[in-house]
Amino acid sequence: MNQDIKQKIHERYQRELQRGERFWPDSIFKDLVMATAIFLLLILLATFVGVPAEPKADPSDTSYVPRPEWYFLFLFKFLAIYGQIPVIGKIEWLATVIVPTIAIGLLVLLPFIDKSPHRYYGKRVFAIGVMAIVVVSMVTLTLMADVPTTGEGIYIPGILQTIGGLVVPAVAYIILILMNFVFKKTSAGAMIWTSGITIVLMIGLTAATLALAPQVEKTETEVALTLEDQILAGQDLYSIHCVECHGDDGSVTVIEGVAGLEGKAVMPISGKDVLYTLNDASLAEVISYGRPDAGMNPFGKAYNPEGLTKGEIDYIVTFMRYSWDDRFEKPQMKPVFPPLAEGEVPSYEVHIAPIVKRYCISCHRPGKENNNYPMTTYEEIVYSGDHAGKNVVAGSMESYLLQVIQGTPIIENGEEVIGVMPPKSTLKPDVIDAFVRWVMAGMPNTAADAAAVK
Amino acid sequence: MSGSRHMSRRDFVKLSTAILGSFIGAVIGIPAIGYLIAPALREDKAGKPVVIGNLKDIPIGKPFPFSFTVTKVNGWERTASSFGGFVIRKSEAKEDILVLSSRCTHLSCRVNWEENRQVFVCPCHDANFSLEGKVLNGPPPAPLGKFEYQVQDDGTLVIIPLEVLQEA
Amino acid sequence: MWKKIYAWLDERLGLQEMYTSILDRPEPKGNWWNTLGSASLFLFLLQGATGIFLTVYYTPSPDHAYDSIQYIMESVAFGWLIRGIHHWGATLMVLVVFIHMLRVYITASYKYPRELTWLIGVGLLITTLGMGFTGYLLPWNQRAFWATTVGTQIAGSVPFIGNFILKALRGGPDLSALTLQRFFSAHIWMLPAILAALIGVHLYLIIKHGESHFPTEED
Repeated sequence: MNQDIKQKIHERYQRELQRGERFWPDSIFKDLVMATAIFLLLILLATFVGVPAEPKADPSDTSYVPRPEWYFLFLFKFLAIYGQIPVIGKIEWLATVIVPTIAIGLLVLLPFIDKSPHRYYGKRVFAIGVMAIVVVSMVTLTLMADVPTTGEGIYIPGILQTIGGLVVPAVAYIILILMNFVFKKTSAGAMIWTSGITIVLMIGLTAATLALAPQVEKTETEVALTLEDQILAGQDLYSIHCVECHGDDGSVTVIEGVAGLEGKAVMPISGKDVLYTLNDASLAEVISYGRPDAGMNPFGKAYNPEGLTKGEIDYIVTFMRYSWDDRFEKPQMKPVFPPLAEGEVPSYEVHIAPIVKRYCISCHRPGKENNNYPMTTYEEIVYSGDHAGKNVVAGSMESYLLQVIQGTPIIENGEEVIGVMPPKSTLKPDVIDAFVRWVMAGMPNTAADAAAVK
Repeated sequence: MSGSRHMSRRDFVKLSTAILGSFIGAVIGIPAIGYLIAPALREDKAGKPVVIGNLKDIPIGKPFPFSFTVTKVNGWERTASSFGGFVIRKSEAKEDILVLSSRCTHLSCRVNWEENRQVFVCPCHDANFSLEGKVLNGPPPAPLGKFEYQVQDDGTLVIIPLEVLQEA
Repeated sequence: MWKKIYAWLDERLGLQEMYTSILDRPEPKGNWWNTLGSASLFLFLLQGATGIFLTVYYTPSPDHAYDSIQYIMESVAFGWLIRGIHHWGATLMVLVVFIHMLRVYITASYKYPRELTWLIGVGLLITTLGMGFTGYLLPWNQRAFWATTVGTQIAGSVPFIGNFILKALRGGPDLSALTLQRFFSAHIWMLPAILAALIGVHLYLIIKHGESHFPTEED
């Protein structure tokens, strides 16, 4: 750049300054208004959106689908689409190293590449066109981040993604570069049209991809935030996974009625010998690894692919601590189900489901010996089982379920076919009452059904 | 005219700058103070009564050792520390009870009762305390601490697990 | 009285000179797009303040990082607000810095005599992204853990020295306590120090050359 042009730039800037304003107070005021707006936006976001709760990191849970921070999503998606390209798609470092290096290199060297002194938009069509396509790519790739890249058979969203996210912009870059550097006479109009069409194409293909994309069901992992929720979550997990052997109060010393472990002696896990001598980490480790020599299976994901996550094991430990360790004071807990008023009809949804989850599910779920009577859903409770049709009969005290929970085993042809339930303990009177009222009212499913019974 | 208008605009901008600046400062500053001192405002959970045992099981005239554990939950950390002491009944009367801490006032070692010499002995520096907890010899600066206690109607002795140091 | 104190300080600090050279500068006619740079600075300061407050309770260890953040969110007065601002501030900072860069690109403000300001700006953008990347791991939740696992693996795909880079980033072959500790250190000491230094140079250059004007057909 020669001295004349530099001189001209300085003179031009001086003229702008003459017509300009003062940094203080004019600019600062604008800056401050902007800062205040951003600040208010942050307060609103922090108050009304908050930070989403996530379960604790669990290195053993390899099933987790990683997702970067949103501003890296476009890179993430770019890598995924790039990986679909035959042959060079397999050379990972081209995309992970070379492309970002070129991008950053171009940014760094920009003032030295673009040496023309012109600043007006009309004289920089190439530069602005390329940047517009880059920015639109970043946005569209981010939007498409949740759409799977591959699918079964001829997977149209995958093809559209590759075209919209990779092929179209790549072709456009090449055309623009050719126009600008090889055919130097290309008019600005042609370049504007090229960029414009590219952008429209990319947006259209993205919209099509999103429209055709299979609906991915978002699995929400529940995270217990307060101590009370953690204890409750732990209790539910304990009911499902531990009650069979350890009993609902953890006091079992000899296992009964569990295939393969019948008569095994176990340490009562609610006693001081366990709770005072093992800290939280050791308790979690015992649950995770189990005690294989003593017959206890591993329950943690690290040793059992079907097992519990670290966070879930932590909930069980918290439940044990606060329920049985006399050094810890249990916070006031909500009852298992909302207490029933005089004459109120319970529903499956509100009352029975939590009761069943707490007291029955540990055995009444698939894979357990339970007369083929799983109780995980409303339909299963009402219609399934070897004794289907007799388990719950609307309005009948003869329902098998009501009999066994009230201490009457079912005898068919002189043989006990269902013992009293639960096998090793008795339900509290209010729980039995809830079951009785529910069956007598005709097993309403939802709260609305229950209200309609009256 | 234009000059005075310019000045007033400048003043307006200055004023709004000051207002917006202090607004941001206050909205971040006041919660920050609450955030920093939050642990100091938490209610102290210590002092939950601890049951020692029934009076009928506690002999008269001879220190009866006991220990209890107090768990503290500080943030995400849960610690259990054990404390110990002696119940000394001088007579049948419910008022005639002394509950001493076993923590030596010198360096917090645990004192033991030595039946032969009728003194509490601290194993660390051989300090001796009398049956009432007074320093007989050795480095401790103060007598053994006391626990406040209550005797319930059925004779259960309950202490408040906060050590009260006597005046030296 | 105040005048005397001011005069005394001015004589020693040169307040008047500072005022004229930093604040009372002539500028080209402003535009709202020009506030994005100072908005980035504001967000940096806000992130600094809330970040410092977070370290009061945060513990960078796999055993306690998650619990300590849970504690901040549930049990500390206004903990949700401080963390909420820091969380969303990070998002907004990346966005604002990026749009600021776009604005500079579109008005071609990186041209003579402001080439160096642009160069420093690119450094600021990369460091800001580095702050985002290192900060993302600190809550030690599933999302953080697996995103960082993949992120460091991508860095590990560099030919020949990939494994070395991976181990240097993670502090070993696995994502572990060492990774958390070094990301924490980078997030609260190294990268902010770099950011602050670069911001200093960036601001000096802006004052030195003045803010660029919006280009017209003349340019």
